[in-house]
Amino acid sequence: MTIMSSMTKSFLALTFIFALSAPMPASAALANDEFKIGITQEFENMNPLIMTMSASLYMYGLVGRALVSMNTSGKWYPQLAKSIPTIENGGAKIITVNGKKTVQAVWEIVPKAKWSDGKPVTCEDFQFARNVAENPNVSIASKETYTQVEKIEWDTKTPQKCTFTYDKARWDFNQLGQFFPLPKHLEEAVYKQWGSKREGYETNSNYNKNPTMAGLYNGPYIVQEVKLGSHVSFIPNKYFYGSAPHLKRIVIKLIPNTGTLEANLRSGTIDAVSSLGFSFDQALAFEKRVKSESLPFNVSFKPSLTYEHIDLNLDNPLLKDVRVRKALVFAINREDLVKALFEGKQTVAIHNLASIDPWYTNDPKKIVLYPYSKREASKLLDEAGWKMEKDGYRHKDGKKLTLQFMSTAGNKIRETVQPYLQAQWKTVGIDVQIKNEPARVFFGETTKKRNFGAMAMFAWVSSPEVSPKPQFHSSQIPTAKNGWSGQNITGWNDKKVDELCEKIDVEFDSKKRIGLAHELLKLYTDEVPTIPLYYRADVAVVPKTLKGFHLAGHQFSETNEVEKWQF
Amino acid sequence: MTTYILRRLIQTVVVILLLSYFCFYIMTLMPGDPVELMIQSNPKITSEDVARLRTLYGLDQPAYKRYLHWASTLVQGDLGYSRTYRVPVSELIGSKLINTFILSMSSLSLALMIAIPLGVLSALRAGSKLDYLVNFFAFAGISVPSFWLAIVLIIIFSVFFHLLPAGGTSTIGNELTGMAAILDRAKYLILPTMSLAYLQIGTFVRYTRSSMLEAMRNDYIRTAKAKGLSRQAVIWKHGFRNALLPLITVVTLSLSGIFSGALITESVFAYQGVGKLVYDSIIANDFNVAMVSFIISVTMVLIMNLLADVLYGFADPRISFK
Amino acid sequence: MTADKMNETRQLTAKEKHDLEHVLPMWKIVWQQFTEHRMAVIGLCVIIFFVLIAAFAPVIKAVTGLDPEAQNPLSRYQPPLSRTMLPTDQRNDKVLEFENMNPNVAAELRKSLIEKSLVQSASEEDALYDLVAQKNTDEIREAMKLIPTEAADKFLPVVNTFETMHVFGTDELGRDVLMRLIYGTRVSMSVGLMVAFFSAFVGLLIGAVAGYYGGVMDAVLMRVTDALLSLPTLPFLIVMAAIDLNKVPLFKSLVGSENESIVKMVTILLLFSWMTIALLVRGSILSLREREFILAAKTLGAKDSTIIFRHMFPNVIAPMLVSVTLGVGNAILFESALSFLGLGIQPPTPSWGNMLYNAQELISEAPFLAFLPGLLILATVISFNYLGDGLQDAIDPKAIRR
Repeated sequence: MTIMSSMTKSFLALTFIFALSAPMPASAALANDEFKIGITQEFENMNPLIMTMSASLYMYGLVGRALVSMNTSGKWYPQLAKSIPTIENGGAKIITVNGKKTVQAVWEIVPKAKWSDGKPVTCEDFQFARNVAENPNVSIASKETYTQVEKIEWDTKTPQKCTFTYDKARWDFNQLGQFFPLPKHLEEAVYKQWGSKREGYETNSNYNKNPTMAGLYNGPYIVQEVKLGSHVSFIPNKYFYGSAPHLKRIVIKLIPNTGTLEANLRSGTIDAVSSLGFSFDQALAFEKRVKSESLPFNVSFKPSLTYEHIDLNLDNPLLKDVRVRKALVFAINREDLVKALFEGKQTVAIHNLASIDPWYTNDPKKIVLYPYSKREASKLLDEAGWKMEKDGYRHKDGKKLTLQFMSTAGNKIRETVQPYLQAQWKTVGIDVQIKNEPARVFFGETTKKRNFGAMAMFAWVSSPEVSPKPQFHSSQIPTAKNGWSGQNITGWNDKKVDELCEKIDVEFDSKKRIGLAHELLKLYTDEVPTIPLYYRADVAVVPKTLKGFHLAGHQFSETNEVEKWQF
Repeated sequence: MTTYILRRLIQTVVVILLLSYFCFYIMTLMPGDPVELMIQSNPKITSEDVARLRTLYGLDQPAYKRYLHWASTLVQGDLGYSRTYRVPVSELIGSKLINTFILSMSSLSLALMIAIPLGVLSALRAGSKLDYLVNFFAFAGISVPSFWLAIVLIIIFSVFFHLLPAGGTSTIGNELTGMAAILDRAKYLILPTMSLAYLQIGTFVRYTRSSMLEAMRNDYIRTAKAKGLSRQAVIWKHGFRNALLPLITVVTLSLSGIFSGALITESVFAYQGVGKLVYDSIIANDFNVAMVSFIISVTMVLIMNLLADVLYGFADPRISFK
Repeated sequence: MTADKMNETRQLTAKEKHDLEHVLPMWKIVWQQFTEHRMAVIGLCVIIFFVLIAAFAPVIKAVTGLDPEAQNPLSRYQPPLSRTMLPTDQRNDKVLEFENMNPNVAAELRKSLIEKSLVQSASEEDALYDLVAQKNTDEIREAMKLIPTEAADKFLPVVNTFETMHVFGTDELGRDVLMRLIYGTRVSMSVGLMVAFFSAFVGLLIGAVAGYYGGVMDAVLMRVTDALLSLPTLPFLIVMAAIDLNKVPLFKSLVGSENESIVKMVTILLLFSWMTIALLVRGSILSLREREFILAAKTLGAKDSTIIFRHMFPNVIAPMLVSVTLGVGNAILFESALSFLGLGIQPPTPSWGNMLYNAQELISEAPFLAFLPGLLILATVISFNYLGDGLQDAIDPKAIRR
């Protein structure tokens, strides 16, 4: 028994260490000198046109600004622009060019806006960015963000007053949060030399070859050092147009393992954990430790626009019956789920829109609500012909009511939610089989080709007033014919829905738009192509003494307000 | 001898060529491609964008064409670009290779420094309490899940005692030079080295012990003892020298991993090595990076296998190459 | 004194003579040798212990009444040795279930509860629900004592499920960690054993064919083996993870979908573990091929299969056994490493590897959750390694101490 006894001893010794370990972070006195933030996701170089990783977008908030951005309450506000042009304020108008209706808007850039070498940000830089994006040799991810602007014109006397002519008359023309300018005076030479070669521009861009070059950035900070896969450090940009940032140096450090992220925080290797860090569970547990050991940290939670839901495969013969779909929603207690698993810090979703969205409604007259009711669920299933049998499950024509429930493997929250829901469905006699796959298989194959048997749980990263067309229009059902493109993976095919989607996109009157959106929501909640679950919360940990830090809850991350952070 | 090595080398090259195509092909079989991974992070990407990017990246070409294209640029000495980071592969992988090399060499030497004396000692005192203890220590090394060990080390040494940094490669932003820089690096190396070394110690102790036991049982040891040689001379000159033979094989074979990196240890300690890079590149379908690192690791395995055989031949005159 | 000693020596020699005259069967010698390796014996005991636990997991479940799948989300991450109560909702479910199963007993109970005014209820229908809502388990048990015994006896087991003692605490869904570890043992052990068993089979076959026939067959098989040995495993794992085994027709009838992830894991591990055994078998067969008794069998006109199965395999089994034993431990370790990459056995099926991985981010909040599976992996793998070592000593003729 020697193995066991010596093992128990070492085990006891270790637990003893754990029980005692309540050390304070090594860096006790934090000042404005240096601030180290931990992230768990990979990043790339910060060419605003090319980057696609969320960690890079997060970092770009420190060094670059767009014309407009979204604040923490989901409202658009001007950044590089003096004000946001709208039809109402006369900044924009609907015109007809060659018989086509379109929009023309005047964007005026803040006069103080400068690149980090002191050169002003002008219309030229926006036009240059647009032209680069249009080049088929450049691997920009979302081309339409830039090419929706067909023309940019300006008077040489007022190089910061630009007239944007759009390609279509879309009501959301002024939401240019991801239309970033490129410094033409630095990048044009590269573009001229390499633009004709496939992927030539992005690989030779100064952002890649010399990311610390003066003049590449226009935000409150500039890049001091980049080590891909390790860290990026930032120092203030003395040409920043806004108020000067307080923190003298910011380091963003990549720690890929969430388990060791916390150890790094506790040992003082990092001072804070960004919204791309802790898993939700970890943050909850850490918050408790912060309280019980009075650690000098603030754990902040902010409901985000990330919509966690279960898409139902409407081609599944069992799910063709709307009563079964409704029963699925009635049978689950989402309020309790959020309370028990998330301590109420993530919010229950009743449909695909978040409460900060102007189109949101929870009015039971306008949409169909599904309060938890096993009785209701049982009734619907009985009506649909699914009878409870001795084995505790429902059967019809000798077939058991079995549904496959898929999601991404290795996501702990999802893997916790799944058995929770499975147990609730079991009580009304629905047999749910969990099957998970690695994310790349799940998204690359299963959901894309609609190969999931019945239910697929994942999240949409949404934004307020987003066009419903890609998700709901029947032309967006992925098929072999359209090369499996489109995001309507439930296979929702409804003429009325199609009409509404098309109408919303071109409706300039905001009141009418809301009306259309509510009509669509009514259909969405009544037809149940999707089971709404909850809105994820963003979490971050910052030192107690840090002021001015607010989580955003959407893709325009907290770094957009970095100049307000201070100790 | 030369013809033998030559023949083996040619075989090795053929195997590498075949395997590289096989690996390339397997990667193309994986569901999803880089463009699909992009869609996940950006819901704004339209189906036109997808088609455009796929053509741009050449993903619409059949696998063998892409392989030939990749191989022809490789032959020209161009390792290509990393699709994920958009930097040349050589730039991306170079410093990480060095980091991995440093980590694996330091852990290998630490492991050998500890394992050989322990192995010899426990062989000489076979059956003693010390032998039991060493054996247990060694077996635990082979049996412990590596990420568990790494996390336990971090909690003990950095969270509880605050002795060492929890992760990283060097202190960020400190422009240290000379000795100070080396010391700084060393501080970050200790924990990953310890956890990697412990996993190897187990194997090495076992090998040293058993080959030493074997060697000490031979008649020539008895003869040497009878000759009246000192105990030290008998152990090291006659015993250990003969026990080295199998040990050489094991060490050479473990040398084949010095550029492959230890994925789990590296990611737990956020160490800037190749292991994590390779994993990410495979997951992200970053073909150029994955293929280069694949070639490196396969080549190392095959070369080291060859080297082990050759060394064995030198050390043991009974073996001849035909 | 001297005489005594002389006597003793003489006696011993006599015993030895006896031993020499009555030759022990091989397995007895091996067993005797094996038992001299203390740690190996301990290892064997540990392994037997875990195998028994794995085999009797359903029995343990039935006896203790603990269900590894039973959730209690209001009591997540409880420390070891804590008691938890089921939430009202779930208690009501249990009562409902009871009422559906035994309507007559339930009616009798309700009636007597109201009669003896043990519960304040608006209507008789709700009596049982109100009872479980208003009283704690001890009070309910007290109340049951005052009621016709037969009915009460039937209801008491239901009451007993309301409160649970968690020896090792609870996990992220309030499930009992001990029970999950026990079921995890079942999964991890069977993965380890199956991989070792199948890779022994495949390795034996390939090694024997390569070694016995030699020539082109040998060259091809050995190059495949070498290639697999030098191949990076990762891309294969991801591709394997993508294959939907349910689409293979034969497969679906063989395994239910709940076992799919286990079967997949065994297949993946098998792909990368048969090579060492194949090399070992090939080596032994190569040397056996030239031995006199094989030549004799050949000249007597024995078939190839007879020679391989009858004469060669028995000589190969012994060294293979060691390799197989070590293989079990390695498979368990490999599964836990794959779990670290999210490619291991998929939750909610518990395995030591995925339990460990799931708990690692909370290692400072719920240390037990991470330590226990890690410790079990360590203990099991170490035991298999010791067992292998002991077997090696036992069957190695050079190591036999007489």
